[in-house]
Amino acid sequence: MTATKPVISVFDSETYANGDPTTFGLPLDQYTYLRDEQPCYLHEFNDPMLIDRAWVISRNEDIWAVDKNQELYSAAGGYVNMWRVAPISPNPELGGKPAMLVMDGEKHRGQRAVMSKGLGPTMVKKLEEKFREYAANIVDAALAKGTFNFVEDIGHAMPMEALGDVLGVPKGDRAQFFKWVDTFAAPFDTRITPSFEYVLTAIMSLLNYATELGEQKRLEPGDDVITKLVQAGADVISADELQGNVALLASGAAESTRTALSHGIWELMRRPDQMAWMREHSDDIPATAIQEIVRISSPFTHLVRTATADHELHGQEIKKDDIVLMLFAAGNFDERAFDNPTDFDLSREKNPHVSFGRGPHQCLGKHVASLEMKILFEELLQRTKDIKPAGEISYLRDAYSRGVYQLPVTVTPA
Amino acid sequence: MKVIVEIDRCELHGDCVLAAPEVFDIGDDDEVVSILNDEPGEELRAKVEEAVRNCPVTAIRLQG
Repeated sequence: MTATKPVISVFDSETYANGDPTTFGLPLDQYTYLRDEQPCYLHEFNDPMLIDRAWVISRNEDIWAVDKNQELYSAAGGYVNMWRVAPISPNPELGGKPAMLVMDGEKHRGQRAVMSKGLGPTMVKKLEEKFREYAANIVDAALAKGTFNFVEDIGHAMPMEALGDVLGVPKGDRAQFFKWVDTFAAPFDTRITPSFEYVLTAIMSLLNYATELGEQKRLEPGDDVITKLVQAGADVISADELQGNVALLASGAAESTRTALSHGIWELMRRPDQMAWMREHSDDIPATAIQEIVRISSPFTHLVRTATADHELHGQEIKKDDIVLMLFAAGNFDERAFDNPTDFDLSREKNPHVSFGRGPHQCLGKHVASLEMKILFEELLQRTKDIKPAGEISYLRDAYSRGVYQLPVTVTPA
Repeated sequence: MKVIVEIDRCELHGDCVLAAPEVFDIGDDDEVVSILNDEPGEELRAKVEEAVRNCPVTAIRLQG
């Protein structure tokens, strides 16, 4: 049976703003169409704020292959995602600052090496105690409220403290720092960002702050990533690259973790069997559960690369310099890679999700984020005996960072 | 089976440690991964194959 082509609106912010809460807030039927019928689909964006066109790759296996092949699919082609302008960019006339996400090869390795020491699996274990303290305080504050917006009081609060520690942002500056990040992270949702000027101001403020903080760390080094960036020396990390990498780390860590926590709690509330499973394991939540939450939440729907040579993919002729878009959200529901992909299953073992990416640019924060979420859910479930919605879930108006805008919940202490 | 790592490629992503902690380790100040046992027993095959697959920089391969 030939599928009728649905209208492809997977890059429209309205699609996500009006997401279906029973399908993870995602346009799963459109993703299925793309994977099955047009696995290499040329999309024309028709929006001055966005790139002109891109080849959209939706199958899980293909996304793995594109992400791992940095020779054929360069990250340094000038774009990060479908936005024409981004706070990080190798192209100065686009206004951004260089960061490792938009570099290839040796240059990328050198930058990543500086930051990875503070964020690998062993280092992250040292953060466990601090994270548990934050989680406990955040949950206690929420319990005192009884009914609250999960996105704000838990989803936002936890990554703010965790990332604050990892980066070395002084406690007093954290709220403002994250306000800047939130503004440029959701540039199309006017409830958060009234106009594009706000975006530019927020980006500039964050970048300037990064430089100031770098100066402070030169005088008073700490056990954090910003200290590592300044100690690497200007040959390895230039002043511009310091700014770019701080912007990258901030935007990678703040909204994505919040998104995953928020979608995660929603699905747990929808599925009492899964909530019960999670409670049973709340003394030591297994990695499978956290990774399942990361899969269905697909915090960033996509990233792009630039083709470095003409080649064919699924019968399509991709030309050198064409933009190739890895649609992670589609790849995360591919039945070729997952058994029962639309089932939220915390015990899922075979989980080749692509939410963190799978190539050299794979999320540097994945271990930190995974630990953060594990600890947060442990504290939350241990301290409560019931968590239920106190209103409707609403989603961010954004087709890239597909966050949750509001999720009112009521919790009952254990 | 023999585990072979192209150490120049290692970027400390840590996926191998997650997949097969019996075989791979990253110490606090390590610049690259350590191979705890380069000839692991058959019972570890599935884990080591996952490490091979999941290495984002394709640095690991198996012989035999």
